[in-house]
Amino acid sequence: MVDDNYIGFKEIEHTADYALQIQGRNFEELLVNAAHGMNSLMVAISAQIKKNVDLEAVDAESLLVEWLSELAYWAEAEMLVFKTFDLQKVVPTQVQATLFGGKTQKLVKHIKAVTYHNLKIVKTDRGLEATVVFDV
Amino acid sequence: MISDHDFQRIEKYLYEIPSTFREDMRVPARFYADPKLLEGVLGDKSLEQLVNTATLPGAIKYALAMPDIHQGYGFPIGGVLATELPDGIISPGGVGYDINCGVRLLATHLEQKEVDPHLDDLASALYANCPSGVGKGGHINLKKGELDQLMESGANWALNRGYATDVDLERTEENGCLNGADAKKVSQRAKERGRGQVGTLGAGNHFIEVDVVSDVFEETAAQRIGLFPGQIAVQIHCGSRGLGHQVCSDYVKRFQKSIHQYGLNLPDRELVCAPLSSPEGQDYLAAMEAAANYAFANRQVLTYHIRRSFEAVLAGKVNNHNVYQIYDIAHNMAKVETHEIDGRKINVCVHRKGATRAFGPGSDVLPPVYRDIGQPVLVPGSMGTASWVLLGTQDSMAQTFGSTCHGAGRTLSRKKAKKTVHGASLRQKLEAEGIRVRAGSMSGLAEEAPIAYKDVNRVVEVVHGAGIAKKVAKLIPLAVIKG
Repeated sequence: MVDDNYIGFKEIEHTADYALQIQGRNFEELLVNAAHGMNSLMVAISAQIKKNVDLEAVDAESLLVEWLSELAYWAEAEMLVFKTFDLQKVVPTQVQATLFGGKTQKLVKHIKAVTYHNLKIVKTDRGLEATVVFDV
Repeated sequence: MISDHDFQRIEKYLYEIPSTFREDMRVPARFYADPKLLEGVLGDKSLEQLVNTATLPGAIKYALAMPDIHQGYGFPIGGVLATELPDGIISPGGVGYDINCGVRLLATHLEQKEVDPHLDDLASALYANCPSGVGKGGHINLKKGELDQLMESGANWALNRGYATDVDLERTEENGCLNGADAKKVSQRAKERGRGQVGTLGAGNHFIEVDVVSDVFEETAAQRIGLFPGQIAVQIHCGSRGLGHQVCSDYVKRFQKSIHQYGLNLPDRELVCAPLSSPEGQDYLAAMEAAANYAFANRQVLTYHIRRSFEAVLAGKVNNHNVYQIYDIAHNMAKVETHEIDGRKINVCVHRKGATRAFGPGSDVLPPVYRDIGQPVLVPGSMGTASWVLLGTQDSMAQTFGSTCHGAGRTLSRKKAKKTVHGASLRQKLEAEGIRVRAGSMSGLAEEAPIAYKDVNRVVEVVHGAGIAKKVAKLIPLAVIKG
């Protein structure tokens, strides 16, 4: 069933931590929606600071963890949260992107780590879907 | 989902899922509960996660879960797994991201009636002096190379810097220093995350709490430990902060690459692991110990801040504002230990994820003051509810590789807790009960509401009844400090 309100990610129940179910029509959109989803847990921000990233991993699931871990790192280390994502290269084992975001005074939620718990990117009628559990 | 047809009750408080339940199980899975706690356990995926841990190579005897078990990622929270060395595995996910998250209990010579008039000021001083919350840095500037030194010497670093006493170290698990720590095995990014966070509490379920000892159940043991009814005590619950989180992330990632070379087939990628004897296993152990040492130093610096808060508020107003250490114990850790299993003394790697070491009387790793009574076990309750001091027993050595529960254990998701409870109202309710609350985030407060947790008293009754720890004293909260 198609949910018209589904905007690319939604929070789902998890006893100890946080979990997001993420959708995208393709892997590129899945990465962007995952980033928006995780950031929505942390804070709302502007887009004045630019950062380039080049990440590699053994497969698509690992790359998704690596991508979100990179964003969680900047949030904790410099209170820097990104809202616009220009992805120049996306293959299942590598992403090159330019991120635009801003500094915040306070994070609503601290993402300690992004886990691999039951992580699998699956094909659906609408594209790709993954559920990511965060350690908070 | 696992249902009650899939396990049997083998003791009053002990249940077993046989190793025939799933083809890939190497050992049975056992968990401690009473009928009420069992209902909660069946409500989430914690037993599936427990069964998954029973599939890991080298698992010996059984995979275990304490009565505060709840769903985590990879291992369940409350899980204990011993793997036989040299080739049994070590799993970063079996320790968790907050390496050496643990509890420290401090006590005073003060009775509640002496502190009551100053409790508001004390809570405010603790909140001001102990940095808490997301992104809050500490007061300590580490010199170049000093972080490496801290990771390799743990609480000794704090002692040399004037933040600790000899007694503090003596009354800390492993004397506050795991000797296999190697800072070279910790990534630059982990060091960057940890550099500014020494002596900080963080957010989430971490807290500092001022308590009063409400009940004593074993008078002789309580006297030896240094606890008496009506006494003011302080608990610290926190861990290795961003440094530990990054160490875990780094090695979970590295192990994803090496898993294939060891031919391991796992039911969940978060259980990724390597033989402890392998280069990857050895590197992780050394990095994990470095992060664990960071956590010991972190709780030690917080202890220093707590002491200066007591001094600032109470000096000249009470006879003796000295704050002394009872014990400091980890509940997220993997350790190489020797256990007697089926009549043989065997070296094992014991993973305790949301479980506390609970060594019984006679263990030579305990400080002399506790050696004949057993190791103090610190079991914090949920916010606004009781906490417990227990002792390890001979039965915990025989049944659980010297392990017991670590807290109340969650029962409601954070999302549901926030829907059910409003942070500001919860604060009002706690204040009405006489509990001072100093918290940086009202939504964070709501997530940690008592309703989101199991009844810690029930959890403690189960471990006491099962013999894997015994009750010594109960603490009631007077002031809670959270990020």
